[in-house]
Amino acid sequence: MLEDDSGVTKKRTLPLSSLSVSFRSHEMGEVELSCLAYAKMYLHASQFPRCSVNGLLLSSSPAGGAVCITDCVPLLHTHLSLAPITQLALTQVDAWCSQTHQRIMGYYQANACVSDSSPTPCALKIAEKIFEQCNNAVLLMIDGEKMFPGCRVPPIVMYERKDARWALKDKHTIMLRQWEETCSIVNQLFSSGDQALLVDFDSHLDDITKDWTNQKLNAKIMELVSPANGNV
Amino acid sequence: MSSISELYDVCWEEMRDKLRKWREENYRNSEQIVDVGEELINEHASKLGDDVWIIYEQVMIAALDCSRDDLAWSCLQELKRQFPDSHRVKRLAGMRLEALERYEDANKLYDSILQDDPTNTVTRKRKISILQAQGKSSEAIRELNEYLEQFVGDQEAWHELSELYINEHDYAKAAFCLEELMMTNPHNHLYCEQYAEVKYTQGGLENLELARKYFAQALKLNNRNMRALFGLYMSASHIAASPKVSAKVKKDNVKYAAWATSQISRAYQVRGTQECTLGVFPVRLEDSCHTLLMEPPLL
Repeated sequence: MLEDDSGVTKKRTLPLSSLSVSFRSHEMGEVELSCLAYAKMYLHASQFPRCSVNGLLLSSSPAGGAVCITDCVPLLHTHLSLAPITQLALTQVDAWCSQTHQRIMGYYQANACVSDSSPTPCALKIAEKIFEQCNNAVLLMIDGEKMFPGCRVPPIVMYERKDARWALKDKHTIMLRQWEETCSIVNQLFSSGDQALLVDFDSHLDDITKDWTNQKLNAKIMELVSPANGNV
Repeated sequence: MSSISELYDVCWEEMRDKLRKWREENYRNSEQIVDVGEELINEHASKLGDDVWIIYEQVMIAALDCSRDDLAWSCLQELKRQFPDSHRVKRLAGMRLEALERYEDANKLYDSILQDDPTNTVTRKRKISILQAQGKSSEAIRELNEYLEQFVGDQEAWHELSELYINEHDYAKAAFCLEELMMTNPHNHLYCEQYAEVKYTQGGLENLELARKYFAQALKLNNRNMRALFGLYMSASHIAASPKVSAKVKKDNVKYAAWATSQISRAYQVRGTQECTLGVFPVRLEDSCHTLLMEPPLL
């Protein structure tokens, strides 16, 4: 039996050599948020400032390893609490994920009312369903009050499943690598006008020639991501 | 920074006409209105004649939407100077206070308008908007209901109320509002489709059948409404999969679902660029998502 710093006894399940890295991240429940996922969520909320918006968080890393949100799919900006389109979007994204070796591991929402970033019943319901399929699912609320130029903290609040409820995640376990670079990429997207490229599922239904997987925008963002840092 | 007229090679008359189109069709493309309108006002105000005042109003509201208080203020000053005792201009001043989140001051202004003119519907609706901005949904709903008792023909208000009820998960009342709208606007496919979505969300066999009927009605009115097409597919599939229906109902709904599938595939072939993953749908019916959304809504 091993004892960690806090004096709590833990069963040794990992080889000693890897203990310092992987044990720590498993214990602390670190979640990494990629630049791509962050940028698209931010753009989605900015595109519909008067509406509540939501979307799904995806991961292309294998289940059971470090938790990394590698991409997101913006879903709706109208009638978030109505069933048909939500159900349709969930099944379409799920099918697309199996084709592209990704999995749905979270849900994000930005409320229309900027001063209130608490999860709505609809957000909790959908997050719950995702949790049933993915036991390290996260619920991410975008904090509209922090979405102004020059804000030094990421405008996000993350929740994780603990003791049968959704609990606030410790800010220090949310990893946003190269935060300054990510901000600068988002600013570049706004100044080049490329933020208008973002398509959510609702917009796709209004015009089915629009691509809700956002291949074009993804390519633009990956171009801007510094090549020295492969997995931002 | 080049001007709009240079960037898009348009003359001031075209800019003025564009603003009129946006005004008449009630577009809320505020950034564009600000760009075009600001230049028009700054460079060509003298040529606009009496149109200039309605343009000041339009640009002011768009400026508030874009947090351009400088522009909103200067438009308001022009309007105040020209129409010193106008309720309409007073209401615009109130909207500026709302944009600055000075809700108490805005309410005082609106109350003074309503004292003079209790039937000023626009002002009454501004007061309800303040409640919504403050997150006071139940009060907003109550006030809007009272408003509609007096002004029963106000379509915009009925629609706003349906949206409020949907946000509060009160689907039965949302359906009632949409029924009012469908009665007075029988050719509007969007109301049919929204009503169907609400019925689908309420769940249960009866509501699903209603949903299917209204999705079908929406399609009759506009056969390019993709939400209605998908909705028809999903409601028919759920009905067909239900253990409570007769063999005939099952057969009919399988037929409806198949028809919807073919229409969807065709739409994507003709207009879409993406492969439609509809093929997985019959498998997905047993998916957990399905059971989630068939449960009665929370709260």
